[in-house]
Amino acid sequence: MDITICIGSSCHLKGSREIVSELQRLLKEHNLQDQVELNGSFCMGQCVKGVCTKIDGKLFSLSPEDTQTFFENEVLRRLNG
Amino acid sequence: MLEENAKLGNIKHEVLYQVAKAAFAEKLEEVRDRIPFEMIEGPQANFRCCIYREREIIRQRVRLAEGKPTNESLGDENIIQVINSACEGCPITRFTVTDNCQKCISKKCQQACKFGAISMTKDRAYIDPSKCKECGKCSEACPYNAIADLQRPCKKACPVDAISWDEYKIIHIDKEKCITCGKCIISCPFGAIGDRSFIVDVINLINSGRPVYACVAPAIEGQFGKDVIIGVLHEAIMALGFKDMYEVALGADLVAESEAKEWMEAYEQGKKMTTSCCPAFVNMIKKHYPQLIENVSTTVSPMAATARYIKNLDPDAVVVFIGPCIAKKGEVLDSVADTTSDYALTFEELNAMFRAKEIDLSTFKGELQQGSIYGKRFSQSGGVTAAVLEALKELNEDTDVKVKQCNGAAECKKGLLLMKIGRLPEDFIEGMACEGGCMKGPGNLSCDLMTAKNRETLLGGADSRSITENIKQQNAQLVEMHRHK
Repeated sequence: MDITICIGSSCHLKGSREIVSELQRLLKEHNLQDQVELNGSFCMGQCVKGVCTKIDGKLFSLSPEDTQTFFENEVLRRLNG
Repeated sequence: MLEENAKLGNIKHEVLYQVAKAAFAEKLEEVRDRIPFEMIEGPQANFRCCIYREREIIRQRVRLAEGKPTNESLGDENIIQVINSACEGCPITRFTVTDNCQKCISKKCQQACKFGAISMTKDRAYIDPSKCKECGKCSEACPYNAIADLQRPCKKACPVDAISWDEYKIIHIDKEKCITCGKCIISCPFGAIGDRSFIVDVINLINSGRPVYACVAPAIEGQFGKDVIIGVLHEAIMALGFKDMYEVALGADLVAESEAKEWMEAYEQGKKMTTSCCPAFVNMIKKHYPQLIENVSTTVSPMAATARYIKNLDPDAVVVFIGPCIAKKGEVLDSVADTTSDYALTFEELNAMFRAKEIDLSTFKGELQQGSIYGKRFSQSGGVTAAVLEALKELNEDTDVKVKQCNGAAECKKGLLLMKIGRLPEDFIEGMACEGGCMKGPGNLSCDLMTAKNRETLLGGADSRSITENIKQQNAQLVEMHRHK
């Protein structure tokens, strides 16, 4: 699975870097580093929805606080489904 | 605003400048749509058939400067983008019979063609484009060299065959194959290929008051003339709003030392390895020689090493790499989960920022040296090898490792192929996708002889500190030098 996080300035200011480290922490905790790849992307052009995050092309709007819920509801669900 | 007969470099630079100026003034939202009209005032066209096409080209270039794809609807996320409004769809049929044809009696071309594509006209041979499979046999067979091999410049330049075209001959770049070396960009005589930029992101973050740090690639020396020493760049870059600037030559020293240790270990185990500092070379391995991924040095790039050094000093730092390289933009995106630079700009983009902020380099003074001469020479073909061998010497390792220096993408392909089939006589490969090394990279302002001469003058001013001495002097011993993932 590929998770792509927008690193444009708007998303950076809304915490894209924190989201990356939080996702890394969660992946490590669940021992999923080999199954999920984190990548950055240029501005996705949806700055109001930032932090823009995509799983295999589907766009999600994240904030550092939602990251854990996102991980459980979207990442784990997809991996287990 | 653009002069008549404007050159490609001017058009690209002017767009970057206009965008950077608007971004610094926080007016990009209102200015964006006006840029094509201000640059192309009309009513006469400057460089294309009409002002409408020229404005569309500028509009697509503005999108690239903002980091966006040229076409919103195509969903093409590649860093290298086709500016389709600028693509001429060059109507080149690859093999063409020239005036040299003697219409000889043996007709070796006709015999060589397996597809029956060659017939004889009144005075020379003729190749039917609908039958020609572009095998090249006729061209090889002709005793008069009368059959010219003409290729579209982009297609010819691409080392990994990532370029194809649609029925209108407008080109398409295959993201799965593209190694972001940027060769197609510099080869296209119509400027129809460009790269997405982080320039607006970097300016926005500077404006936001975040601690934004620059780290400049060793190839920078010489780019801004013979008087612009690193100390001057340091002051000028801080005048742009960066909190501080560091030399990536320091990261290169760290890489040389780390690779020296890694090479020794691999050498003793009889394992062959490649360097990891050129991102286009690493992309070539990942996408075209995936069997060799395990052979890539796990030492990070000089860019990543320098970024880690800066982030050790200031954990909140936003680090921007500034270099001659387009593939570095991809390295930044691919290694978002590893500690490295947050953004990458080219020297062209830096120059646009200087102009936007009306910074005159001749007004700055300063002294700075953070890299050894070996680190500073990392950016030329053979430079990495020379630095690693020096580091081995400094570590008192007595060894006779053999290194294949692959200068340019074509040589890289040959070296990697030999390694893949187990026939590489040397122990290591130094891979650089640009011929001549980073000094000839696509993001440079200039690659001419004068630049090379200026560079030598500037490097002549560096002191003779060794790699280990420099690492100690800069207090950089604690930088973690391996990839985390």
